[in-house]
Amino acid sequence: MAARTRLPLLFPRNLFPFRSQKLVHTEVSVKEPAYPPIVPSLTAKSKSARRRQIEEWVKKICTSSVEDKLSLITRIQREKFVVYPQTFARNADRWYQHFTKTAYIPGLPEKFTPGLEKTKAAVPGIDDDAFADIRSLVTRVILQEHWQFRKRKPFMYRHQEQVVGPFLRSLVSGLTYSLAKYNPLLQLSSLDLSPQVNFYWRRGQRIIPKGHRKRRLEPTRFQIDDRPHSQIRVTQQLPQFMPLEASHAAEVPEITLRPNVMPLFRRQYDNNIFTGAKLPDPACYGHTQFHLVPDRYHRDRMVRQQQADQVEVFLRANALASLFAWTGAQAMYQGFWNYEDVTRPFVSQAVITDGHFFSFFCYQLNTVALSVETDANNPRKNLLWGTESLRLYESVQDGEVVGLNDGVVKLLVQFFMNQP
Amino acid sequence: MPVTRLLYPLYQLGNPQLRIFRPSWFLTLVRPGKEQPQDTVQFRIPMEMTKYDVKNYLEKIYNVPVGVIRTRIQFGSNKKRNHLNQKVKQPDYKVAYVQLALGQTFTFPDIFPEKERAPAEGSMEEMQEKFMEDEKQRQKLDPRRGGVTEWFGL
Repeated sequence: MAARTRLPLLFPRNLFPFRSQKLVHTEVSVKEPAYPPIVPSLTAKSKSARRRQIEEWVKKICTSSVEDKLSLITRIQREKFVVYPQTFARNADRWYQHFTKTAYIPGLPEKFTPGLEKTKAAVPGIDDDAFADIRSLVTRVILQEHWQFRKRKPFMYRHQEQVVGPFLRSLVSGLTYSLAKYNPLLQLSSLDLSPQVNFYWRRGQRIIPKGHRKRRLEPTRFQIDDRPHSQIRVTQQLPQFMPLEASHAAEVPEITLRPNVMPLFRRQYDNNIFTGAKLPDPACYGHTQFHLVPDRYHRDRMVRQQQADQVEVFLRANALASLFAWTGAQAMYQGFWNYEDVTRPFVSQAVITDGHFFSFFCYQLNTVALSVETDANNPRKNLLWGTESLRLYESVQDGEVVGLNDGVVKLLVQFFMNQP
Repeated sequence: MPVTRLLYPLYQLGNPQLRIFRPSWFLTLVRPGKEQPQDTVQFRIPMEMTKYDVKNYLEKIYNVPVGVIRTRIQFGSNKKRNHLNQKVKQPDYKVAYVQLALGQTFTFPDIFPEKERAPAEGSMEEMQEKFMEDEKQRQKLDPRRGGVTEWFGL
């Protein structure tokens, strides 16, 4: 028998006021529970924890300013291979191409017309009178160093430092100042004499054979410390020689052997990344570098000792390493690094000389992502264009320069006139 | 001294030239332990030789164009002890890594290749091998039993 509940005779609208509250509670319980994201631990001794630590480190670097980025990337010191740009190792240019992922293209890009023609064809922006002025400037500088100065015979193995060094310095400064009226970029440029250029990067990995870290993978680290004779830094970047996508087709030599067989030696010291000036400097992009050949490099001796091919190999390796270090440091100064690849190519030029022979090189940096994780799907390659050695003049006789090569002077002028 | 003392007959004007100067140094070509580039050849050389001696040796006697040479001295261990607990020294030796010029390459050949030993027809070895094979076949159990031994049968 139903119990008699105390219900009123009439049913007002609000008779059961809390009845609909049951429905409110059921709606809340149907809503999705919000848990924190399931991520691997940060401090556990496991591979996923290590992966998460690396991800956090990469995120931290991506969100920091450029000075902090540089200091975080170069903070930890470990043994690294020291790459010397001027090295007498055989086939050094193939090794360096592998370390820096660079393809070598013989000859210069189409922008620089071949400089071996004898005609005074007009360089864009320079008319014949100005070219004649430049030519006379070059002749004056050569005569001053080799004919007019009463110099004592240079000390043994110091010919480059004592004779060619001052010649190149006066040539470079003279050309910069006289071409500044044709190239507005040079008016705001900075000419450094004997600057430091350093770069630190990682490429490839190896399995540690012995020690308490045996059987673990270790990335191979490299460092370049270079002192070019002089360099020109500018405020705007030079235009690219080839679009980024065109570099996918270039070939880079692959070497599976360890670098210490080259021979290359390991050391542990400060990891430096430096273009030649500190970060706040407005002239942060590179224009041209000038290198002197070391005193122990004797062309004729190498040809006599059946190492004729190594003559050009030495120059190419020097240009490759120096320009890669310079453009890499420029890219780092703009905030691009291993995990944030460059969005635009960085371009620089170099001239290597020993007083008589001049070699011209152009470098385009398309990628800084060289370590194992980032290089797996990276089709971009860096590019190096270079010439063989070209003679500037035959000799100096009786106060006259004999056989001045106009093509080489034209190439020099074109290099200086390069502007966006 | 590179040349050991040899006695030649006394020379007088008009005699034939009998002296032959040969070095008493000998190089040993070895297989590299660690992987080396294609143009590198590894030698064991006597301790008294230098890089320039090796270069002249190879160029003048064997006409091999040599680029760059690097040498090192390998210390022979002095750790092992014999049955009298005396230390036994393994001899030290000098190793030279020679890089060839003019783009030449060298790979160390395979000195002990695997040979297929097929015995000659009708010989003792062939009959013996056949006999051994038949014996082994008879010793094997019934393959239908799937490797189980005879103990678990009737």
